[in-house]
Amino acid sequence: MQRFNFPVVQPDPALEELRAELQAFLKEEREAGNFRPEPECWMASSDPEFSKKMGKRGWIGLTWSSQYGGHDKTALERYIVTEETLRAGAPVGAHWIADRQHAPMLIEHGTEEQKLDILPRIAAGECYFAIGLSEPGAGSDLANVKTKAEKVEGGWKINGQKIWSSGAHISHYMVAILRTSPADGRNRHVGLSQIMIDLSLPGVTIKPITDLSGDAHFNEVYFEDVIVPDDCLLGEEGGGWKQVTGELAMERSGPERFLSSYITLETALHQLQGKLGSDSQARLGKLIANLRTLRGMSWGIANLLHQGVSPETEAALVKDLGNRLENDLTLQVRALLNDLPEDEWSDEMRRILNIGILRSPPNTLRGGTTEVMRGITARQLGLR
Amino acid sequence: MINTEGMVAETAAKIYTDLCGREVPHEAEAGQYPQALWDALAENGLPLAWVSEENGGFGADYDEVFGAIWVSAEAASPVPFAETLIGNWLLDRAGIAIPDGASTFALLEGNTASVPFAGTADHVAVYDAGKNAIALYKTADASAADGQALSPDSDTRLDFSTATPVASAATNLSRRAVEALILTVRAVQMASAIEAALNLSIAYVSDREQFGRPLSKFQAIQHQLAIGASESAAATMAATQAASALARHADDPEKAWHEAVVAKVQIGHSVEAVTVPFHQVHGAMGYTQEYDLHHYTRRLWAWRDTLGNEHRWSKLLGAELAVTSPDQIWKGVTTGAWIAS
Ligand SMILES: Cc1cc2nc3c(=O)[nH]c(=O)nc-3n(C[C@H](O)[C@H](O)[C@H](O)COP(=O)(O)OP(=O)(O)OC[C@H]3O[C@@H](n4cnc5c(N)ncnc54)[C@H](O)[C@@H]3O)c2cc1C
Repeated sequence: MQRFNFPVVQPDPALEELRAELQAFLKEEREAGNFRPEPECWMASSDPEFSKKMGKRGWIGLTWSSQYGGHDKTALERYIVTEETLRAGAPVGAHWIADRQHAPMLIEHGTEEQKLDILPRIAAGECYFAIGLSEPGAGSDLANVKTKAEKVEGGWKINGQKIWSSGAHISHYMVAILRTSPADGRNRHVGLSQIMIDLSLPGVTIKPITDLSGDAHFNEVYFEDVIVPDDCLLGEEGGGWKQVTGELAMERSGPERFLSSYITLETALHQLQGKLGSDSQARLGKLIANLRTLRGMSWGIANLLHQGVSPETEAALVKDLGNRLENDLTLQVRALLNDLPEDEWSDEMRRILNIGILRSPPNTLRGGTTEVMRGITARQLGLR
Repeated sequence: MINTEGMVAETAAKIYTDLCGREVPHEAEAGQYPQALWDALAENGLPLAWVSEENGGFGADYDEVFGAIWVSAEAASPVPFAETLIGNWLLDRAGIAIPDGASTFALLEGNTASVPFAGTADHVAVYDAGKNAIALYKTADASAADGQALSPDSDTRLDFSTATPVASAATNLSRRAVEALILTVRAVQMASAIEAALNLSIAYVSDREQFGRPLSKFQAIQHQLAIGASESAAATMAATQAASALARHADDPEKAWHEAVVAKVQIGHSVEAVTVPFHQVHGAMGYTQEYDLHHYTRRLWAWRDTLGNEHRWSKLLGAELAVTSPDQIWKGVTTGAWIAS
């Protein structure tokens, strides 16, 4: 009996057509100077204009119904869009999280009014969301959140602080996990709820934090007596923990878990074609074999999700392996480039490589650290 | 996942369950060959699964047989089941009559070749890439080099220069087609052995207590096994991808070459990443002959050398990719179509 379930799924010609359309669009945009490719583009490169163009082409909101501005397509089509934009290093950071995470959440838990209002704007590339999980005292130990939502007449009053909220400074909403009732002694997972907060409300303060690459994409977010209406509670009151862990499982196996730095390799390959020496060829062979395997795993999970199966362990495995691979990729490119005299490196190559190095630490942190992933795997193996 | 449904895999599973319990690989190493196991496989015609009906086999599809290979590796098969499947496949493709008994295979360059199960199999089917020919030898007719073997069934260097073949024939099977099959079979065996060794490791750390609690409760141990599990999952994926490519290109196995090489490289490099933690968590027990772990780890060390080690294959693959356009490489990564069409 095989322990892990990763089906092999053959490419589908219709999907490959979509891929070709995306490639043509991305090439045109890049050649027109409308974006400069970057590693980590799904986190650190945001361009609302670019997001609107993606929206116009119908490449955001692929999976939800046209009634809500979506395109009635499948998660597999979304996967193709995701991997092609990552490969291109395109500035997709503005809409990424809303499209991936919060739209499906609203579809499941939102009111009809919210769906009609918000989903079409997300699909148009005009409405952005931030994830409000981490707090200064709650990182890996997520159940330790202290930010509170108190029941008041007609809504909730929110006080506290979130941190590391990617894109909050350009986002319209945050979905935060908040304490709606005290922890029940030993069980710290009870009393947590997910609440959607309009970030333009009075009492919200957002302070960008500059990362070591000089970019300021994540933020501290403070809430001081912020009042949100009742219907901003998403899902069940007190059911937040279960909802969040389910959602994290979904987001862990996507292509952004192993392709964040692919643009570095792609850029190098353009320079190195036909010039690699024998050691480098061996490095390249190994790297590509790893990428092909991981892509197979991630695509297998996408297909399972498409069938309504949610394989949590497999997703954790892909994230752990994938994060290691995307860091290794940057290191391998450094080694490959030895085969080209430094004065022949293009400026573009140098720029992308350096950004890649500076942006490598978060790969194994965001979305749950490597250690946390291994803990999840160990639990599934029956060791905990 | 490797397909373990269907008659071939299910029959093999039953035979291995009945006749290849934990003690059997140990007994085989002590010199007690499990003839009953081999006889049962042979009586059911399983070693002929890939042989065409005209040649007395049952022409099974590629993917019907991989499940049986998975099962045999899981049981640390002390009989050359997978090797006979490969040997018979080669003979059949050259139109050579299939001999009775266990066989093995070799890919010859010059006079010598590495031959698995050389001491057990009666016959060896030799693919000579230079001559585009396949020949059948009696294993005993080739002279063997002396050396420390990695595993009881692992490769022995055989010299064919003075041996006379029992039969030989020209073949239009390309070298790449032969490599695709051999590497894919090995990939399936290796993925299966990695998972079996993972399972042993999990069972061992759950049972063994130190400092008043099971080893499994220590985070350092959990993390070593989580790494092993991720490598195991990747190995299974790579093997499945290769098996599926072969099934898809049944008429032209050469087209499955790249996916087979990807699996060879991926899994070959994983061997170190799994055997180190699996031995580590077993402490001294894993280093004993009495315990089962080495049935898997020794085979993995041997199998990663089939047709050359992972470094050789990383370079072969990389050399081709190094002159391939970045667009085509991306196409390979995402769709498995490695050659411009
Ligand atoms: C670029 C970036 C973007 C992010 N975006 C968001 C966002 O949009 N929204 C959001 O909510 N959060 C975001 N995060 C936060 C991210 O989820 C956290 O950084 C992560 O969960 C780890 O928490 P921490 O930073 O507090 O580290 P800590 O939890 O303090 O961990 C520090 C180290 O200790 C290890 N460790 C902790 N506990 C254990 C344990 N029990 N066993 C073994 N090791 C342990 C960790 O694995 C890590 O290596 C982002 C982070 C980054 C880097």
